[in-house]
Amino acid sequence: MKKKTNIREWLRSRDGQRVLVIITFMTIPLVLLFVFTYLPFGKMFGYSFYEMKYTGARKFVGLKNYLKVFQRDDCFKALKLSLYYMVGSLVQLALALYLATVLSFKVKCGAFFKGVMFFPYLINGIAVGFIFKFFYTRGFVFDTVLQSLGFELENLPYWLKDQSINNWSLVGTSVWRYFGQNMILFIGAIMSVDSDLYEAAMLDGANRFQQFRYIIVPSIKTIITLNVILSITGSLSAFEPPYVITSGANGTGTYFVIMHEIAHTQQKVGLASAMAIVLLAIILIATGLQKIFFKYVFRSGEDEDINAAKKREKKLARYIQHQRKKQEASGQ
Amino acid sequence: MKKKLLSYVLASAMVLSLAGCGGSGSGTGTGSSGSSGSTVSTAPVTESGTLSYTTLNLDEYSDFTASIKFVHHKTDREEDGTMASMIAEFNKEFPNITVTTEAVTDYAEDSLLRLNTGDWGDIMFIPAVDKSDLATYFMPLDSLDNLSKELNFVSSWSYDGQCYGIPYMANAQGVLYNKKVFADAGITQLPRTASEFIAALKLISEKTDAIPLYTNYAAGWTMGAWDAYVGVVSNGDDAYMNQKLVHTAEPFSDPGDGSGAYNVYKILYDACAQGLIEDDYTTTDWEGCKGMLNRGEIGTMVLGSWAYAQMQEAGDTPENVGYMPFPITVNGTQYVAAGGDYNYCINAKASDDNKIAALIFVKWMVERSNWCYNEGGYTVVKGGANPDMYAAFNGCEVMSDLDALAGEEDYLNQMNAESELSINAGGNAKVQEIVEAGATGSKSFDDIMADWNSRWQNAQSELGINVLY
Repeated sequence: MKKKTNIREWLRSRDGQRVLVIITFMTIPLVLLFVFTYLPFGKMFGYSFYEMKYTGARKFVGLKNYLKVFQRDDCFKALKLSLYYMVGSLVQLALALYLATVLSFKVKCGAFFKGVMFFPYLINGIAVGFIFKFFYTRGFVFDTVLQSLGFELENLPYWLKDQSINNWSLVGTSVWRYFGQNMILFIGAIMSVDSDLYEAAMLDGANRFQQFRYIIVPSIKTIITLNVILSITGSLSAFEPPYVITSGANGTGTYFVIMHEIAHTQQKVGLASAMAIVLLAIILIATGLQKIFFKYVFRSGEDEDINAAKKREKKLARYIQHQRKKQEASGQ
Repeated sequence: MKKKLLSYVLASAMVLSLAGCGGSGSGTGTGSSGSSGSTVSTAPVTESGTLSYTTLNLDEYSDFTASIKFVHHKTDREEDGTMASMIAEFNKEFPNITVTTEAVTDYAEDSLLRLNTGDWGDIMFIPAVDKSDLATYFMPLDSLDNLSKELNFVSSWSYDGQCYGIPYMANAQGVLYNKKVFADAGITQLPRTASEFIAALKLISEKTDAIPLYTNYAAGWTMGAWDAYVGVVSNGDDAYMNQKLVHTAEPFSDPGDGSGAYNVYKILYDACAQGLIEDDYTTTDWEGCKGMLNRGEIGTMVLGSWAYAQMQEAGDTPENVGYMPFPITVNGTQYVAAGGDYNYCINAKASDDNKIAALIFVKWMVERSNWCYNEGGYTVVKGGANPDMYAAFNGCEVMSDLDALAGEEDYLNQMNAESELSINAGGNAKVQEIVEAGATGSKSFDDIMADWNSRWQNAQSELGINVLY
């Protein structure tokens, strides 16, 4: 009875204090999250049904903007460019995983190499863009390096002008920038693997690759999955390299760059919002597919895959058969 | 005890700061209400009648006393002392008018914010406000009829026949070139038509090592600069850009006489197709190109006159930097589009004395400071001297685009957005497309123009804008 009537009393009690602390600590982050993430997103979702500019009157057009996203040839052509970045991100992850494995064992100047390779991630993306603009300029850094290796300038392509390779050049910059970060994540995960396992594996006669295949990969599969998902979604929304280096011109305009152009130069805010929503849907689908894929790949990741077990059983059967034949032969 | 003391200190500090706020707040409040009364009763009356630019006789006011503040965007001129020396000159004639200046770095945005506070000073450059709001913020300087008899380019900030701004300098649209490169290539007469221009570029490429035409493709906005030649320059019609273009069915068709937007962009396409541009256009460098033009490594660049001074400052041979009209001739005449830069304006909420002093200062700046001339600007005063860079413009017809018709002010913006061509509004991508198509041969010029025409027509039917031309 006393508890019910006196709220102040309740607030001073342990339960009350707990609730109070939870509420006060959660209010600010939740308000920030709502105001700066969910509210703008909701607004953008609303905008995608309007024909509107930043200022001036709005006109409700229903799903017309979404139809336009699918009808315009520049929107989905731009998504094809993401394939370049996806291939790039796979190369990037393979490289990062390889170097992480090497560097997590004892290597001379290991910390130095880690630092050198992580460094690009610390540089601002815009600065990276400017660096590579000059890097790829005809007769500048990259060409000079290749020339000193014996290439003739006439035989070298124009890295940004030639439309058959300029997207690879841009992908190269993003690999350069992000592989160090992936590597550090991988090293962190590999560090947490119990080193006794290596020793035990060594005693069993496992070589380095087998250690990698059967100890390291299964132990860090969560980080691998995470990195792959982040890289693939990142490559769908590639923006900085094409925006800064080529400003999306010359066939390098990715989905994001096109969206930026439509939203800010053409001021078709509704259409750009619809593009953003479509991209979100694509990213969600891509993430879902990857989750399913990894579920399949790591299905029996703890020990080994089913095929190996089957093979071993076959081998064993063959061996037994062989032995039996031998016995029969010796018995005769 | 300690806590209590602290809380007293805090509380008193708060009270004091509140009082401070209240003080300044009420100050501006009375200030603005007092002066808004004066704007209703039109301009203050001076010895020679109501205050207006044309009737104000500078010589009558040599002992006028006031203190005014000038807010501007020319941070470079504030830092290098140009502004201070101009004001020193001003004070020789008007010793009792004190002028303080403030240069604002992010002027386009900051000035708008300050404008709404009301007490930003007495003179500023008009930021992007709606014309219908001009009277709320600024004092009318004179009627458009009176002012346009004495000054050029004053119509851009006029409303209801009243002028609210006077440009401090004007820019003209032409082509930058290197005189020495032209001489080395044996070009004695500046090209006046597109075919002459392409022939000149060919000569440059054959006889010199210079890049005939530097596109500045990578910077983007430098490509959008080509749009500036669509109006007056390409057809000699000052009503075209803001009035007729939106009603034109096929603005990008070839008129057949070497004029029109078609031939403006065709110069670029042809130069790209014939390899008369830089080797690798995707890695052009805006900062670097200034020195290259100055040193004679670049023959021509298509940019407004504002770029001229920068090109001169970028190297040791400023005398070689030249400026010529755009090589399109319409019925035997070359046209030059010119327009005002930022415009001086006077605070409507300033006191009467400050308004008079401000107008004195503005008139002095426009007519006696030589600022426009020194900046390499096209003259704002009718019949005023032009810098040498405009020597090649003699014999050309100088015009500025007329404003959009009443009720159609939004049409061009809407058409630009709907067609995504964004003419003179950041449509860089479409001009870059010309360079790509020209250099790689992926698309013919006529196909591009046909595509633009159809985009324009689709936008017209989408927006319901009637076709008149």
